[in-house]
Amino acid sequence: MDDETFLLLLLSDSNLPTGSFVASSGFESYIKHGFGGDQNNRTIMFMRDSINAYARSALAFVSDTHRIVQDVHRDVEQGSEQKSDFDKYLQKIKEVDDLYDAMTLNDVTKRASKSQGVALLTLYSKGLTPPLAFTGVKNRKEIEIEVNSYMASLVAQYKSLVRAESAPGHLPICWGILTGALGLTLGESHLRSQYLHIFLHARSLLSASVRLNEIDLRTGIPSSTGTESDQPDGVDDKSRGPANTWPLGEILAARHDLQHSRIFNS
Amino acid sequence: MPGSSTSISKIQAGGGRITLSSHGGKAWISEFSATYPLKLLSPRLSDNTVAIVYVLTYGGGLVGGDCIELTVNVESDTKLLLLSQGSTKVFKDRPQQRLASVQRSDYASRSTPGQAPATLQIMNFTVSSQAALFLLPDPVTCFRSASYSQIQTFRASKDATLVILDWITSGRKSLGEDWVLSRYYSVNEVLIAGKRVAKDVMLLENNEFNSDSRLNRSLAEKLSPFACYATVILRGPLVEETIAQLTTRYGGISIMQRKAPEDLLWSLSSIGSDKENGVVVRVAGKETEMVKDWLKNTLRSLEQHIGVDVYRRAFV
Repeated sequence: MDDETFLLLLLSDSNLPTGSFVASSGFESYIKHGFGGDQNNRTIMFMRDSINAYARSALAFVSDTHRIVQDVHRDVEQGSEQKSDFDKYLQKIKEVDDLYDAMTLNDVTKRASKSQGVALLTLYSKGLTPPLAFTGVKNRKEIEIEVNSYMASLVAQYKSLVRAESAPGHLPICWGILTGALGLTLGESHLRSQYLHIFLHARSLLSASVRLNEIDLRTGIPSSTGTESDQPDGVDDKSRGPANTWPLGEILAARHDLQHSRIFNS
Repeated sequence: MPGSSTSISKIQAGGGRITLSSHGGKAWISEFSATYPLKLLSPRLSDNTVAIVYVLTYGGGLVGGDCIELTVNVESDTKLLLLSQGSTKVFKDRPQQRLASVQRSDYASRSTPGQAPATLQIMNFTVSSQAALFLLPDPVTCFRSASYSQIQTFRASKDATLVILDWITSGRKSLGEDWVLSRYYSVNEVLIAGKRVAKDVMLLENNEFNSDSRLNRSLAEKLSPFACYATVILRGPLVEETIAQLTTRYGGISIMQRKAPEDLLWSLSSIGSDKENGVVVRVAGKETEMVKDWLKNTLRSLEQHIGVDVYRRAFV
């Protein structure tokens, strides 16, 4: 199995410690506020509206960040002058991050986004970089080692910015950093990164649905959620731009904390 | 001596400029111009620290291809209340161009052949130190198949006050219109001391060409049961009290499992992580009147800053 495939399998693992376990993306609030009609259709209805809305608001940020980190890859591989200018890259990523923060005017969503974002950066540092002392693999090219160590530094530095509250560290941006740093390069890699991100979001929604007793795994999930074909074709066209397309979802997600009792964090 | 140092700018169709300046403790409108189809009205008020401007369109609505571009300067120590007279109605299109029109702007001439041109409204606001802008128009109503874009940019000083209301209703109830517009795109971007703190982008689209209902539910389905959605951005010294009241109210709400949605829902979120950047309030109501009453009551503490008589003109 090639590295790329292994990486994709790893990233789509439901045990990936991203902290999404405590996030229902507004689903719990949606149900508590009396939306969605009867239980049979609620999950699908919410998933369709939520996934479409999330894709439209977040995916452009995933790909923009992924591309910035890909540029770092290229600069390091080509040994260009630019590569020693860490700050420039960090600044570019921070700009994308700040824009997402300015466009996501929802305390609950931002909270969930930041905690999952930093979890991804931590995951990269602690679980997906080769240990410094590891010189093992004989035919690993020197340039690969250099790229990896560069990426590790870049991610560590960005994480410091986040910890110091100089950068927000939002989920779509951190996902873009992660997939860019891991060098997902197969085909239109930024699209692949987007696809995986939405896949994980969808799965997290299904997981939340199960824990809210909305769907019973013994009798099976309805045969078509329509989510497989929910993949937007690369929402990265600047003129169409990120936007909030589901104001009802926004309000319900923001009201999450108003629930008298709740099992999810967001 | 005019407060603004710019010479009279060339105005294109639908263009307009308003500048409110302060002189000897009084506010006076030093720049006031509009070209068809935009129309501006400013009634004389007894309180001369505040000015009101009504922003209107000839015919009471906008049609495809109309492009309104308004530039507003609220200079130091002045307060400006911008209102409309009735909901901004957006029609799908019109067979011919408006006949009485000065040079059309680049935008309007650029429309795609064969496609009904969209309607565009651009507003640029500058709000200086110790100044206040209260943008409290009636809601936008996009009729069947209408396509409307609105881009509002606010550049404010650190101690400026902003109250920005942006709301939309579902259509003409009498004709059974329930979110049957084609496209509604609204951007509200706020920069404080040159730094962008908020950019609220709302896009509502009915994708008539995408017949796969699995992918995209219709707007009516997604937005049901509410017929009116509002967004309010509040920041600055004059709304500190309003924000505090809202925060207390919000914190007191406790939701138990409901069988069906309430008639009106609202949410409160902060802008950025800095307290002084203000809040965003979102409201959804089954009827526009409900949302209007809610807004009117919630913003009532503005009366102490602009006076009861002036406030009464909003949310009529």
